[in-house]
Amino acid sequence: MRSSLLLRPFTVALVLLAISHPSYAEDDITIPHFIEETAASGIDSIYEGEWEFMVGGGVATFDCNADGFPDALLAGGASPARFFRNVSAQGGPLRFVAQESGLELEAVSGAYPLDIDSDGNRDVVLLRVGENVLMRGLGGCRFERANEAWGFDGGDAWSTAFAATWERGAAFPTLAIGNYIDRAQEAFPWGSCTDNWLHRPASDGEPRFAEPLPLRPSYCALSMLFTDWNRSSTPDLRVSNDREYYKGGQEQLWRIPPDEAPVLYGEKDGWKRLLIWGMGIASYDLDFDGYPEYFLTSMADNKLQTLASVDAGKPQPVYADIAFAKGATAHRPYIGDDVKPSTAWHTQFEDVDNDGLVDLFIAKGNVAEMPDFAAEDPNNLLLQQADGRFKEVGDKAGMGSTAISRGAALADFNLDGQLDLLVVNRWKPAQLWRNEGTEGNWVGLELRQAGPNREAIGSWIETRRGDKIMRREISVGGGHASGHLGWWHLGLGADRQAELRVVWPDGEAGAWQRVESGRFHIIERGRPTVVWNPS
Amino acid sequence: MNKTMLALSCAVFSISFAGGALAKDKTIGVSWSNFQEERWKTDEAAMKAAIEAAGDKYISADAQSSAAKQLTDVEALISQGANALIILAQDASAIGPAVEKAVNEGIPVVGYDRLIENENAFYLTFDNKEVGRMQAREVFKVQPEGNYAFIKGSSSDPNADFLFSGQMEVLKEAIDSGKVKNVGEAYTDGWLPANAQKNMEQILTANNNDIDAVVASNDGTAGGVVAALSAQGMAGIPVSGQDGDHAALNRVALGTQTVSVWKDARELGKNAAEIASALADGTEMSAIANAVKFTTPGGKEVDAVFLTPVPITKDNLNVVVDAGWISKEALCQGVDAGKVAVCD
Repeated sequence: MRSSLLLRPFTVALVLLAISHPSYAEDDITIPHFIEETAASGIDSIYEGEWEFMVGGGVATFDCNADGFPDALLAGGASPARFFRNVSAQGGPLRFVAQESGLELEAVSGAYPLDIDSDGNRDVVLLRVGENVLMRGLGGCRFERANEAWGFDGGDAWSTAFAATWERGAAFPTLAIGNYIDRAQEAFPWGSCTDNWLHRPASDGEPRFAEPLPLRPSYCALSMLFTDWNRSSTPDLRVSNDREYYKGGQEQLWRIPPDEAPVLYGEKDGWKRLLIWGMGIASYDLDFDGYPEYFLTSMADNKLQTLASVDAGKPQPVYADIAFAKGATAHRPYIGDDVKPSTAWHTQFEDVDNDGLVDLFIAKGNVAEMPDFAAEDPNNLLLQQADGRFKEVGDKAGMGSTAISRGAALADFNLDGQLDLLVVNRWKPAQLWRNEGTEGNWVGLELRQAGPNREAIGSWIETRRGDKIMRREISVGGGHASGHLGWWHLGLGADRQAELRVVWPDGEAGAWQRVESGRFHIIERGRPTVVWNPS
Repeated sequence: MNKTMLALSCAVFSISFAGGALAKDKTIGVSWSNFQEERWKTDEAAMKAAIEAAGDKYISADAQSSAAKQLTDVEALISQGANALIILAQDASAIGPAVEKAVNEGIPVVGYDRLIENENAFYLTFDNKEVGRMQAREVFKVQPEGNYAFIKGSSSDPNADFLFSGQMEVLKEAIDSGKVKNVGEAYTDGWLPANAQKNMEQILTANNNDIDAVVASNDGTAGGVVAALSAQGMAGIPVSGQDGDHAALNRVALGTQTVSVWKDARELGKNAAEIASALADGTEMSAIANAVKFTTPGGKEVDAVFLTPVPITKDNLNVVVDAGWISKEALCQGVDAGKVAVCD
């Protein structure tokens, strides 16, 4: 199926590689090596708390002081969130300093960066057990509460999921917030799922939000993602739900037509009832057909869904689970002697070995002490192989921590073109690994456009490689309580140049262009692409 | 997020088949959800012995906790020529396509211990309502009046409500007459002993420790209850449980737990083998000995056999020792001489 241009990573060059690089080959794949640098990094944060913090535990990664290096805000649960400014040198060890930012609220379960008012300073959405808070970026990694200024009703729920989009023609974003069980029902929480909310812009065109619209029915969402699953240029909302607590629920896909009420896709549309302990969503077009696949984390089996019905160019929301066929069920620990099933949370598709094929990270960890699930549950790194199957290498790559993990971020913290890993743990310190990487080529890209939605959320970056086009949808949402905004990473394998274009959120495609690998580029709509270097 | 807790367990109840000479040389395919879990080894040995004793062949597959793998496992068992299937479902909501495939090919399916929501699958398990009855019955025998607390199982586990309804059935008359008073009941999230202990502490506080008996739904929760009672110097009041956990049987010997209802995995395995064989021979599901109609939580009517468990109290502790379920040393640890017959 796959083009031979999607090169198997460099087995030929291994002898040379072995000298300069710690990565090594096994069964014709090269495994990147992650060095844990938690202790020296300055990151020191624990996701604390009891029942109300059994889910959540997110991290937001984004640059807020205009130096290009991603900074990090880690949810603290019952303890205040902690902000860390990235002081790493390019290519150097990972270094952060804790810094007062204004984001240090208690009861934070998750965090997503987003430039809500499109002023060039990234803002932060704080999901909380209690009132959600929008924090406006002031520059220099300072933030202030903006609920009142933006007419945002933060509510009083147990918020656990987030996704953002700019609906067509809107000057202000639409925020979807997923809420969990009614926290007043600790003695009998089952069936007490509370309403998810859709915060749309005010109808008067002012930079404010309208009253939130309840998305009924709601089934204890733990992850949400605005995604253009059918390439209509109108993203819809995927919601992954926790079957432990809902009654009569299932996974959901909401059609979000601009200026109209949301409509749930159902059986008549071909949507199949699926019950999982949904905790996280990642998406990527893995089979180059233009439509994204979705990875859904759960307990035991995880799901990898591919669009199964395209009738005369018109996709129906019918998905087939190909996780088992692709070796991506990741349903129980791959090391140790605990044979009970796993519990999976944050997930993310990224190319960690720069071979041109995205890989899959999954954060794992028991809810607390659930006796029927693995207690020692290592995080996964599934490398995608040339045949499209995934291979577990978490232990060999050195990042298979068995701490009780929740949220996470794969991001290039030292701007060396290798994606590093930050993982938030329940009751244990967060962990940080530097990816020593492979020899594969890469580029880092940021998108810009004038006016609202400055960072062009909802765009697609298309990269032509041989007879295939690799497509990455740019989104803020999904994962588990964790979001990233900043450099978008593309691995290129042996290609020294990337041939790429951007399909902007309104569907307009930019021109194909060639950019040099090993560099960071800023692609601004309607302008020549510029190379960016750290100062 | 916690999943149905399937109380491993046991019983002593045999069924015999109406059916005369059965055809030999059948293949019985068994799909295990996660065979590496120690608890299924006993079931398998009994199942295999019964299948081979009938002159049939045992084949099996291990889904390794993956519902997706189990679907392909069942297909593989069918292609290996299975004449009947015994399925221990990893995820009852996901096994449907495999059951449909088997049924379409005329291969009968026995849902083993875990319910499969499909009219065409036979259901074999222990009688959980009877477990609840036995728990209440044994506690009621020693404490026929007073303030009762109920520590129920996980609300997300349908078994928890079956157990509770069995308990209530036995106690209804005494409750209606006012002899027994329900002074507190609580579900136990995840069946976790720590949660049971917390709930018991709250009930004790709310009642100024004026509690005369506790109906706990399994041995894990009973452990939490006894810990809470001990902290108040109240250990020794009647407490129920189930599963035949070694720690619980030891508590029965020590006198801090009244009963542990025990389900013998060997009986479950043996019965599954015999039912699968009979179905493969063409016996109608409704004609299986002791089969009853059971309405599933999803509203489907299935044919089922519910095996009867055994209440283990200080008077019959020899049963679990004789069965090799627990060593005398483990059972009798800390038990004073002359208190329990089997320990002397």
